[in-house]
Amino acid sequence: MSTRPATHRFVRAIACLVLATAATAQSSGHGSDQKHWAYRKPTRPSTPHVNAAHWPQNPIDAFVLEKLEANGMAPSARAERARLLRRVHLDLTGLPPSIEDVDAFLRDDSEGAWQKVADGLLASPRFGEHWARQWLDLARYADSNGFQADQLRDSWAYRDWVIDALNADMPFDRFTIEQIAGDLLPDATLAQRIATGFHRNVTCNVEAGVDPEANRVNQVFDRVNTTATVWLGTTMECAQCHDHKYDPFSQSDYFRLFAFLNNTPIEVKNGQGVRFDFYGPKLELPLASAEREQLAALHTELAEVEARQKSELTNVAEEQLRWEHKMLALLAAENPWHALDVAAFASTGDENHTVLPDKSVLIGGRLPGTATYTVETIAPFEGITAFRIETLTHPSLPGTGPGRGDDKRPNFILSEFTVHAHDGNGQEATRVDLHSAQADYSQRGWHVKNAIDGKQNKGWAIGGGFFKDHYATFQTRTTIGNKSDTRLTFTIDQNYGRGRTIGRFRLSAYTGDPALLALPKQIARILQQEKRGAKAEDRLREYFRNNHPAAVRLTRQVADLKQRVQAIQPATALVMVEEQQPRATHVMQRGDYLQPGARVTAGTPTTLHAFREDWPKNRLGLARWIASPDNPLIARVTANRWWSHIFGRGLVTTEEDFGLRSEAPSHARLLDWLAVEFVESGWSMKHVLRLIVTSATYQQSARRQGAETVDDDNTLLARGPRFRMSAEMIRDNALSIAGLLSLKTSGEPVFPPQPAGLWRQTGRNEPKYVVATNEDRFRRGIYVVWRRAAPYPSFVLFDGPDRSSCHPSRSRTNTPMQALTLMNDDAYVEAALGLALRVVRQSGMSTAARIEHAFRLALARRPTTVEREHLRTVFHRERQRLAADAKRAAMLVDSVKGIRVANHIDRVDAATWFLIATILLNLDETISK
Amino acid sequence: MHELRRDLGKTLSRRALLQGTGAGIGAAALAHLFGDKERGPHHTPHARNVIYLHMIGAPSHLDLFDYKPELQKREGRKCPDEFFVGKQLAFIRTHPRLLGSPKTAPFRFRRCGESGMEISNLLPHLQTCVDDIALLRTIRSDEFNHGPAQMFLQTGFGRFGRPSLGAWSSYGLGSPNQDLPAFVAMVTGTYPGAGNSAFGSGFLPSVHQGVEFRSKGDPVLFLSDPKGIDRGTRRRMVDSVKQLNGLHFDDVGDPEIATRVDQYELAYRMQASVPELMDISQESAEVHALYGTQPGRTSFANNCLLARRLVERGVRFVQLFDQGWDHHGSVFSQLPGKCRQVDRPIAALLTDLKRLGLLDDTLVVWASEFGRTPMAQTNNGEGLDTKAGRDHHTEAYSVWLAGGGVKGGTVVGATDELGYAAAEDPLHVHDLNATILHLLGLDHERLTFRYQGRDFRLTDVHGKVVRAALA
Repeated sequence: MSTRPATHRFVRAIACLVLATAATAQSSGHGSDQKHWAYRKPTRPSTPHVNAAHWPQNPIDAFVLEKLEANGMAPSARAERARLLRRVHLDLTGLPPSIEDVDAFLRDDSEGAWQKVADGLLASPRFGEHWARQWLDLARYADSNGFQADQLRDSWAYRDWVIDALNADMPFDRFTIEQIAGDLLPDATLAQRIATGFHRNVTCNVEAGVDPEANRVNQVFDRVNTTATVWLGTTMECAQCHDHKYDPFSQSDYFRLFAFLNNTPIEVKNGQGVRFDFYGPKLELPLASAEREQLAALHTELAEVEARQKSELTNVAEEQLRWEHKMLALLAAENPWHALDVAAFASTGDENHTVLPDKSVLIGGRLPGTATYTVETIAPFEGITAFRIETLTHPSLPGTGPGRGDDKRPNFILSEFTVHAHDGNGQEATRVDLHSAQADYSQRGWHVKNAIDGKQNKGWAIGGGFFKDHYATFQTRTTIGNKSDTRLTFTIDQNYGRGRTIGRFRLSAYTGDPALLALPKQIARILQQEKRGAKAEDRLREYFRNNHPAAVRLTRQVADLKQRVQAIQPATALVMVEEQQPRATHVMQRGDYLQPGARVTAGTPTTLHAFREDWPKNRLGLARWIASPDNPLIARVTANRWWSHIFGRGLVTTEEDFGLRSEAPSHARLLDWLAVEFVESGWSMKHVLRLIVTSATYQQSARRQGAETVDDDNTLLARGPRFRMSAEMIRDNALSIAGLLSLKTSGEPVFPPQPAGLWRQTGRNEPKYVVATNEDRFRRGIYVVWRRAAPYPSFVLFDGPDRSSCHPSRSRTNTPMQALTLMNDDAYVEAALGLALRVVRQSGMSTAARIEHAFRLALARRPTTVEREHLRTVFHRERQRLAADAKRAAMLVDSVKGIRVANHIDRVDAATWFLIATILLNLDETISK
Repeated sequence: MHELRRDLGKTLSRRALLQGTGAGIGAAALAHLFGDKERGPHHTPHARNVIYLHMIGAPSHLDLFDYKPELQKREGRKCPDEFFVGKQLAFIRTHPRLLGSPKTAPFRFRRCGESGMEISNLLPHLQTCVDDIALLRTIRSDEFNHGPAQMFLQTGFGRFGRPSLGAWSSYGLGSPNQDLPAFVAMVTGTYPGAGNSAFGSGFLPSVHQGVEFRSKGDPVLFLSDPKGIDRGTRRRMVDSVKQLNGLHFDDVGDPEIATRVDQYELAYRMQASVPELMDISQESAEVHALYGTQPGRTSFANNCLLARRLVERGVRFVQLFDQGWDHHGSVFSQLPGKCRQVDRPIAALLTDLKRLGLLDDTLVVWASEFGRTPMAQTNNGEGLDTKAGRDHHTEAYSVWLAGGGVKGGTVVGATDELGYAAAEDPLHVHDLNATILHLLGLDHERLTFRYQGRDFRLTDVHGKVVRAALA
């Protein structure tokens, strides 16, 4: 399998070469003057002069208006205030405004009202939760490994780091450096190390039989490619196998970048055999304060119990002395075991049998699958308190036994052991009640207690203890036997099948003190020793304590407390660390790590800005190079991404690619202006977003200007943005409208409702999806568990990626499955009922007022007369129908899973509002911004 | 698609929108629901639909489709050094011995049909269909672990992020059915290790991803209305949403709203059409006997019958995954059972399609992510021959095609006498995918999607159509 498809890879190189000729011909060489625009450092363009000079609110508008005027177009009017407020709330926080927010804004006609709204939203902790989503798509953040089994991992600390960094408006250069190489910063803080989780988000294959080195190399490929896409808007992947044919990156450029990222430890470890485990550097997170308090309380309790244990043990020591005397006396008495004479033997298996002089029975001849031996014995003893069966080896048995059937595994399974006693007067035999089964050895899962549990499917077996004698003892509930002629019938069931029966056995009765029975031979020996060594004394003391109820209880308590202390383990985060010894990096011929070519050292592509002498040639140096203001790509790529997030379309539409084959920017000078402004503001994301949302361009109405519009895609920005929200926003928005949304932040991922049966991957340690029944059910989408093989279904249906690889932008589809989701997914059914109850609880409102209230909760604006009338008609019509079928109304309200509706609430009322809420939550306007 | 939207924007009025259900504008908008109308085949298609049977875990092709008497003869002997030394094997760690098929009757191979194609007695029903089958015996994969190899087979790439064959087909041809997705996936057993990526859309618009139809719970996610919402209520809700969306469309003029209205109509229709489709109880007793189906059960047989029903309704690409073929141990005791589960239904599917006249239009593919070694993998060192299994094998394995455009009764390629590597006509996963696209009327070199500055293809820069398998 190492003979790789060399020919195929070679063909790839040739074919790319052919394809490339056209592209290179188009692009005008790579000379410094004619360098592709994106590889030249942006400079601040002057703000253009425009005719409608009153319109621009800031330079963004001047650039936009210039283009519009050049195309003979004019901008749209400002959007209505309620719609505008909803737009900016959704854009900056991902959540809709409350009715109070809307009213306050409608009342505020001061000049700075809009600025104030923007500033307030930028300062909200909801900001980071919303904007982190876009970054986490790029960072291919997920809570699982990917591949077979797709086990969960602890990576959420990184997600929280991103949210916090965005909320704090961490300068983007620092944001970049900490994620690529936070661990290598001098005196790296905990947060800086957590930030390096960015590159631990790669998928990891722990499928049985994986090659850890292949997995590692694939992970580094992913890191190189993701780094280039995220910060350079460049597709490096092409250069993995051969020189990039469109963009000026050679294969050795690729592996020089690869060398920077090639020095972290392997992340798959070989467990037993061909089992492999997820592995690699982890960081312990500090405990939360509640956990710290809990831990302190446990330590106090532990100290108390240990003190109590100490004093109790002094008493126990005294008891031990008395016990030793008693046991010694018992041991001195004559042997209480009596081997029983066999009067008759029968078996269902039709074997031969011989009774040997030592009173044991040897079985031979036919080997049946199963057998029941019935043995009649004479037991002229009084005071029988236990029986014993010895299973013995014999040269005639396969592999010497003690079982029959297989000379490699001479096992037996004693399914049931029963004894019947006859008192000699010809009366019915009575079954002897047995308990406290003990054996010198039991196979795992086949404990001797199974031999008296009344069930034939489990039994006593000795796998792992072949070729040796064994015994089992069983105590009787009552003392049995009389001196003259007690007859005992033993039934020995062996029903496992495949000839797993006993080859030789001997039965005995016991007439001693049961206390002695339980005494292990080794302890008996120690007791009888004249002089005991320290080791023997320890052993004896340990034995006594382990069988002393009070001592055992205390020991258990201590162990339990220690376990609880142990259980409060700090959570962990996946981080990057650098190996002491850097790996040698070679160009991989045709991208195959088994075919190393020339050795390369770490370095950056010469087409781009220079790598400074004083930067270290490691990940930290790479990070500083990427985050350098000289980098022509980073600010453009990043600002473009934010622009796209807000306007639905980037200034460069190929968001993931700024190379020679990228689309030309629609507003090249605006892009450069934004990029320069971004860097000069101290890399402030919030500064750039504030500029965007306070621009007149942003505040335009989204209404299309007549049917003749020539700019369908809104490339020229003659109207405001309007498009469907992302998957997470749609859910957050619905929960918020419903008044159900929990604003709890951070921590482990949550499990909101999803249909059963979606998590069934192949492989070890498959995690279970346990739907949350507390507030976690209603937390924001950013906290929902992201399992790569099966991400949250409604997210997938609304174009969420599986996050297995870097995902620069999501598609925006419009499908029937989305309609079904909004109508029937538990999450949305619960939201509809939540909204219904919110309306029902408004006391003293007319139906019309309630309709208006619900409408404003969903859409911020007030309904038009037609809309209001329509909903009123629907309300009355549905109410009438439901009133006529109260049972259906109750069923509708009471079968919603996540919400219990109080008894005093009228079911017909709630059900009618549920239908109105369903309509509102399904509107295109509700899921669009 | 932009063209279409622009037209809609120009001509739509609310009245048109509201009248447009299922006709007129509705139909125009529907054209880009599940795929684009403007793309189409590059040449005359031989098949309109595909039913792709992916045996997850990789069946032992050597015991089913590639008879090796020499391997039986040398059973128990150490394998040649070149099979082991310097090779990457998933599980085998010590120099293994050769493992032939048992010589007992159930494992014997038989020459069947007019073509005399040799396949195992483990597949007695399929033996009757060989004259419809083109057997490719030398397919090779680049990946030797399940997850990556499943992705490689389905997306032409061993890592995440690329569109699957079904998604490419939907993207290239659109959907002939307006009421159902272009690409439907069904799974028996656990999901493939590659997860949803095995039927995902990668960087293509997610509208092209395979929609899973399930035999437990809702057949399509979120298909059933909540308790207490009857059909009439749902209809009135959808009407009301349509009414209000129409008003908003009048206001803002975004054609996406018109599309949304149609999606709700389609969703409403799917609530009736999908359960009807999934309900096989209406099929005749004769059909149930043919497939071995039992209504209400989850089984591969039921999925085969459903595949036929989907194709009848014009679903472009139906993909069945069946888990449980990863026989590292006890291959000879496990394989017969798995074969019994799939043999009758697969043969029934071919027979049924044929008699309904659908086989000419439908390509049936039977494949797995790789094959299994001619060397024994001994289970946990116990060393009992009866427990031997086979490890993952990528050098050469068997895949077959049947139906539209396929030359039945053909065998392409031959492996060496021990079944290790191709001896004649080596083929590759990319060749298989190029052939499947070809049969659908698509040129694998021209079916591209521009992403990250590159025109991506299912077959990367490889792939040759396997002409010998074509009718």
